[in-house]
Amino acid sequence: MYLAPDGDEIEIANAAADFLADALAIERLHGADAADLKAPLRQLLGEMGWFALAVPEAMGGSGLSSVEHALFFREAGRQCAPVDLLAQCLAANAISDADLRKSVIAGEIGIALMVKDGKHHRVFGADDASYALLVSPDEARLYAMAGIATTPRPALDPANSIRLVQDLPDPIETASGGSVWQLGQLGTAAMLVGIAEAALDLIVEYAKIRETFGRKIGSWQAVRHPCADMAMRVEAARSELWYAATALKEGRSDAAIHLDAAKHMANLAAQANTDSNIQLHGGIGVTDEHHAHLLLKHAMVLSRLFGSKRGLLSRLLHARLED
Amino acid sequence: MDLHFSQDDQDFRARAREWLTANVPTATRPAHGPASAQFDRDWQRKMYDHGWAGVSWPKAFGGLGLSGLQQVIWYEELARARAPHYINTTYIALMHAGPTLIARGTDEQKAFHLSRILSGESLWCQGFSEPNAGSDLASLKTRGVVDGDHIVVTGAKMWTTDAQHADFQELLIRTDANSERHKGLTWLICDMTSPGIDVKPIRTMLQDEHVNMVFYDEVRIPITNVVGEINKGWSTALATLSFERGLGFIGDQLELYERVCRAIDLAERTRLDDGRFAIEDDGIAQRLASIKADTIAIRSMTLADIAETDRTGEPGPKGSMMKLMVTGTHKALSEVVSEILGWSFLEFDGDRTNHPWTYDYLWSWVFSISGGTSEIQREITADRILGLPKARI
Repeated sequence: MYLAPDGDEIEIANAAADFLADALAIERLHGADAADLKAPLRQLLGEMGWFALAVPEAMGGSGLSSVEHALFFREAGRQCAPVDLLAQCLAANAISDADLRKSVIAGEIGIALMVKDGKHHRVFGADDASYALLVSPDEARLYAMAGIATTPRPALDPANSIRLVQDLPDPIETASGGSVWQLGQLGTAAMLVGIAEAALDLIVEYAKIRETFGRKIGSWQAVRHPCADMAMRVEAARSELWYAATALKEGRSDAAIHLDAAKHMANLAAQANTDSNIQLHGGIGVTDEHHAHLLLKHAMVLSRLFGSKRGLLSRLLHARLED
Repeated sequence: MDLHFSQDDQDFRARAREWLTANVPTATRPAHGPASAQFDRDWQRKMYDHGWAGVSWPKAFGGLGLSGLQQVIWYEELARARAPHYINTTYIALMHAGPTLIARGTDEQKAFHLSRILSGESLWCQGFSEPNAGSDLASLKTRGVVDGDHIVVTGAKMWTTDAQHADFQELLIRTDANSERHKGLTWLICDMTSPGIDVKPIRTMLQDEHVNMVFYDEVRIPITNVVGEINKGWSTALATLSFERGLGFIGDQLELYERVCRAIDLAERTRLDDGRFAIEDDGIAQRLASIKADTIAIRSMTLADIAETDRTGEPGPKGSMMKLMVTGTHKALSEVVSEILGWSFLEFDGDRTNHPWTYDYLWSWVFSISGGTSEIQREITADRILGLPKARI
């Protein structure tokens, strides 16, 4: 029993952090045309094998596990990485056609994420994506974008563009079972934990230098105590993320419950921390040039993916943990 | 990361479960008075006689020398067996005084006290807080004057839980009259039968008299009862508090999950005044599920913290965040149950056995104030985890 990154896991997390801080830094979102995963970066990610950490070696992946998957997406969350990064990774785990899977893993073709919206659907991701993945708790469906008419919609979150889909053709492939959904839950929970951590880091850094009334704001209890609450929420969400990732890796019978709990705790931590981060920064926190609103807006997208509050809580109410 | 318990740990769990199933008292613990203390002593004696006393204590001092993880297992099994709550009249002796003596006591002090603590023969209480020194403990004023081979103590202590049952007290006093704050303090073993001690119960909002004021009128305590050094008692006191902030509340962390499951059962069979079962109310159902997620995460926080502590050998500062999380969750659970139970929640005779949910609701303030208030836990987190600029002296 050891519930924290260890050995090779730490090295992979550090490598992911370095790579993403360089290739997909959150600063990009202050520039124009920053949405989605662009083809050159997608190919670079593919060359480095980041899309297939949890794909077995026999299927062309790294043969690692849900734990490394979670560690990678936590770092991606800190940079507000676009959700097509997750879609690409989930497709690498979902697709049965070997040639198609190979080109997804290599980043040669792009995958967008599709979600259901009442009678219609929405697509998050690059408009040159060849396919879109629609994931439910029971199955994952892959659609060819070539035959789908989409209407662009203005996006609150600059990390991803949004397109509306009226009519959906039949999927070109369907993977049954819940494993893709579970990796999606884990990936979004990990990104939300990364966002909650990034929000805490921003305000702690600022509280050490910004002065009001002749003192650093980090010496006022009005700032210190909400920061302590942010740290507590991060600790709870991160610990539960580690538990869920490991339970999934080990095939424990209560992994699904822990994934729901991890996603719920991550939703809460990211929403509350991105909120507090803006408030405690004061005026500078509502400016466009600051990262604070980027974290908030991306958390709002991620908290709706792979289990929003209502669905997660209705499942958790009657779930029983394993001994 | 790895969730597997080792074979040793699994065997330990099986042995603990088997023994607890057969030996947990079937009688209900009396809520008040000497009978409650006797009940605690008897249960402690039973665990001692069967080799289950002192789970956190080193083997060399009669304990079980369990790893942090095995302590987690023990407390999980206590909760599962519905054993008497471990925070009872033996708590200060086992969780505070014993570990402090092991770390800082003389050989004579250890030889006299440790086995008496383990067997339930000696109950202890804590004498740190005063009427004008609570969260700001270092401002304490109860004074001790060295007179030959004794220290003569005069003053008053406050919030002393179970002082009326205790045989001994961990007593923190000011022995250097010219000192300020953390300097000039001394940590003493005080025999509660000493002449000059007067215990006055404080009735609380729970309608009980578990906490007390303790008055000292020239109480003579042998210098050989000093733990650590004279005038360097702050260091000993920090050691005492670190045991509580490390694993001292581990049982509560783990028991909360069982408690929320009981609350969900309650909501399934209790009707609201509109005739629906409480669980059919979306607001109540969502809050219960969210609290359940909190308790699941609390167990993971505990395991993550234990993993680090077992590896580094010392408890880190995360205990403060844990206490914040646990006390907040406890209160949220009490509040939702107060809605589920409706009018019947307002019936209360002061006995936890008869009205457990109302009792726990009232107790939630005791929990978030004693052992370091939530505000102090946030201060510790801001200082030691986040490294924010100091606000206090």
